Amino acid sequence: MIRFLANRLLGMAVVLFLVCLFTYVIFFVLSPDPAVQICGKNCTPEAIDQIRANLGLDQPFWQQFWTFLSGLFVGRTYGTGANAVECVAPCLGYSFQSSQPVTGMILQRLPVSATVAIGAAVLWLLAGVSAGLVSAVREGKFTDRFITGLTLTGMSVPNYVLALSLQFLLVVTLGWLPFPQAVPFSEDPLQWFMNFLMPWIVLSIGAAAVYTRLTRANVIETLQENYVRTARAKGLSPGLVWRRHALRPALTPIVTIFGMDFAGLLGGALITETVFGLNGVGKLAADSITKNDQPVIMGVTLLAAFLVVVGNMVVDLLYTAIDPRVRVGSAA
Amino acid sequence: MLKKLTRAPAALLAAALLLTGCSGGQNDASGTAGDDPVSGGTIHMLQNADFSYLDPARGWDGGVNAFYRLVYRGLTMQAAGDAEDPNAIVPDMAESLGTASEDGLTWTYTLKDGLKFDNGDPITSTELAFGISRAWDPEIGIGSPWLKNTIAAPEDYLGPYQSGEHPGIETPDEKTIVFHLIEPFPEFDSVLAQPNAVPFPVGTGAGDEFINDIVASGPYTLETYTPGSLIKLVRNEHWDPDTDDVRKAYPDAWQFEIGLDGATIDERLIAGQGADQNAISGKVQPATLARLQSPDLADRVETAEAYCVTYMGMDTTEAPFDKLEVRQAMNYAIDRTSLQTASGGNQLALPATTIIPDAVNGHKDFDLYPSEGNNGDPEKAQELLASVGLEDGFSFTLDIRSQPIMQAQAESIQQALAKINVDVQLNVIDTSTYYETIGTPSQMHDAAITGWCPDWPSSSSTMVPPLVDGRVITEKGNTNIGLFDDPEINARIDEIRAMTDLDAANEAWGDFDEQVMALAPMVPLLQEPSVFLPGENIANYIPNTSMTDLTIVGLKDPSAG
Repeated sequence: MIRFLANRLLGMAVVLFLVCLFTYVIFFVLSPDPAVQICGKNCTPEAIDQIRANLGLDQPFWQQFWTFLSGLFVGRTYGTGANAVECVAPCLGYSFQSSQPVTGMILQRLPVSATVAIGAAVLWLLAGVSAGLVSAVREGKFTDRFITGLTLTGMSVPNYVLALSLQFLLVVTLGWLPFPQAVPFSEDPLQWFMNFLMPWIVLSIGAAAVYTRLTRANVIETLQENYVRTARAKGLSPGLVWRRHALRPALTPIVTIFGMDFAGLLGGALITETVFGLNGVGKLAADSITKNDQPVIMGVTLLAAFLVVVGNMVVDLLYTAIDPRVRVGSAA
Repeated sequence: MLKKLTRAPAALLAAALLLTGCSGGQNDASGTAGDDPVSGGTIHMLQNADFSYLDPARGWDGGVNAFYRLVYRGLTMQAAGDAEDPNAIVPDMAESLGTASEDGLTWTYTLKDGLKFDNGDPITSTELAFGISRAWDPEIGIGSPWLKNTIAAPEDYLGPYQSGEHPGIETPDEKTIVFHLIEPFPEFDSVLAQPNAVPFPVGTGAGDEFINDIVASGPYTLETYTPGSLIKLVRNEHWDPDTDDVRKAYPDAWQFEIGLDGATIDERLIAGQGADQNAISGKVQPATLARLQSPDLADRVETAEAYCVTYMGMDTTEAPFDKLEVRQAMNYAIDRTSLQTASGGNQLALPATTIIPDAVNGHKDFDLYPSEGNNGDPEKAQELLASVGLEDGFSFTLDIRSQPIMQAQAESIQQALAKINVDVQLNVIDTSTYYETIGTPSQMHDAAITGWCPDWPSSSSTMVPPLVDGRVITEKGNTNIGLFDDPEINARIDEIRAMTDLDAANEAWGDFDEQVMALAPMVPLLQEPSVFLPGENIANYIPNTSMTDLTIVGLKDPSAG
């Protein structure tokens, strides 16, 4: 088990290092010169050089990358003298456009993205797994076909279409929900809940459709396994066969995919957050892309990669708990 | 001065329009006629993007400048939005506009009595000199460059935190402040109306201190700031209305709701539910325009003139645009009516035949390359091309931004020029790198579509020269994208800049515009006005594409919403 863990951790570190390197190269090589952007209208070449020096952009690539990497672990200082700004570890960089440490900007928005992710995840898990089970039980019947048809629709509608149509329908036309507004939970819990309702629904519909199909296929497949037939032949009650022999193996793949989906969502729901004006990590990324705020884009990318990798790892650990065969496999 | 304009030379236009209200000011002074603003209530501002910076030494664009007016005061300021000439510069904390010495190198101002910060501390010349000197800090002073461009300072002066007091600013007593200039600058009052010429308590604002909190001197102060989401302003108890001739400060509070999708903002303003009747926002989306025709909404709609010109710059150093006749032919051939259609119709675009827009002081009405209905005159253009042996046409590459409206404009140019056998290849550049690319002469192709706005609208001194002065051409961040360099034009710029009678100077800029256009270094295409939809309960809202004056806006009924 320890070796298994060590292997996984090492793999994680390598993946994250590569993501760091690639994102850094992409933004370093392909982006417009941030010094020119900051300098703006009525700029002089001397001013551009000055800004480049202040930002450390005049250093060679490897040195900049090294400073960035070490900042992640030990923090770093931006600027000089009275203007020095301390960026404590894990320092993801410093936004050129808003003069704030990227880590702080992300942390401030993470609770919003987490709220979006948790609410949506609860919805899609409940809806997806239960619809999948119903579908599997009623395989081939009308209910099954109806649900399968619905999931096809759910998977095909892009989020931005769904988000805007839902807003138009529920808010503008029917007036069932108020327009999303920037209110903290403590100030107006009801409005706060209403604000998140639409994003939750939008994000969960597509995912719920996928989970329905996955659950349905897994359960149907498991029900055809030899050991299920054996269990039935032994005369076990259908309920017991379901719970003990069919459900558990059928649901393990769901755990895997859920871990990754959920972790990915924590890193920000770009489109949904933007459409509904939710100030989360996804919105931060979208805004930073239009503003060309490279350090923030990089920071969000790294966070998303980190979350997915960690999510994966957690799933693997859970897997060993759910399915002993995996443990045996890795030891072999 | 518009948002991106300041950050990236060219981005000026687009972003400026995005963020601000715009109204030519003088055109629409009637505003929301009928009901007058009353003191009290909260006005909501719905906007997509957060302000660049709360620190006025860093930010400099139409959207944030309007915000700064609510919380900061300077020696001078742009007149109220409902003034007869809203572009004019008037005294703010100073008792009068500045007094220049005989040689124009020394400007003296006297402060009013009773000026205070939001913490109750008095504002004297010392705090003002300190606040202004922050512009020299290499990391903080990234906003308006005009203080640095005009006030004399040693080469190695790096702002108050590193180099101490500013040697070019004297404070003989608490109420007097004296500026020593690099060279005479008759428009120095306009420089002090820039957002970074405001006071701060001595020693404050180093590093990132003013990134999330500020020290206010205007009628409002910051209550909460959640970056990317919410800004709440409440009254600054220490602001004395008797010392302020411009700001009315009707509402008790301001709430800036940030991060909203443009379409959502429009829906909210149209629906006007609850507090949204007390809301304003930037210009409405083109897609929303058609819905504003309904009678109940049409009453609320406000339009604002353009302060910027959209134009096609041509590289005047390379064939074929090195020939005057070819550049003139372009001016004749362009179909501005079709361009107008491509840009969203007559509410969002007007044909431009001059460089200086109508709303900017100094504008002179002329059209050196007229055509019927602004549809272009291909015959005349063909003649001019034939006169230089190009009757069979030629082909050139036009740089454009990957943005739907600009692509539609480029296609209109393509079609118009096809009539004179000129083949236009479009080179689509990503929005994020566009202005950097065309501001780098070695990277720009034969021509490019871009825009320009003046740094202050009371004069054309910052409107035409940056586009045609041969001495400002640089390898990066270049504004004279046509690389146009004409000794006579350069000399005339210096002459007009030296004029101390600003009205005479503005008249001269208008004539200068015509003199420049006779040489056709560019093709003015459009002026792009904007449309706004304030909430039903909003009074005295006079949007402006350069900077909407928020300090005169109020609610008709503060108890509503």
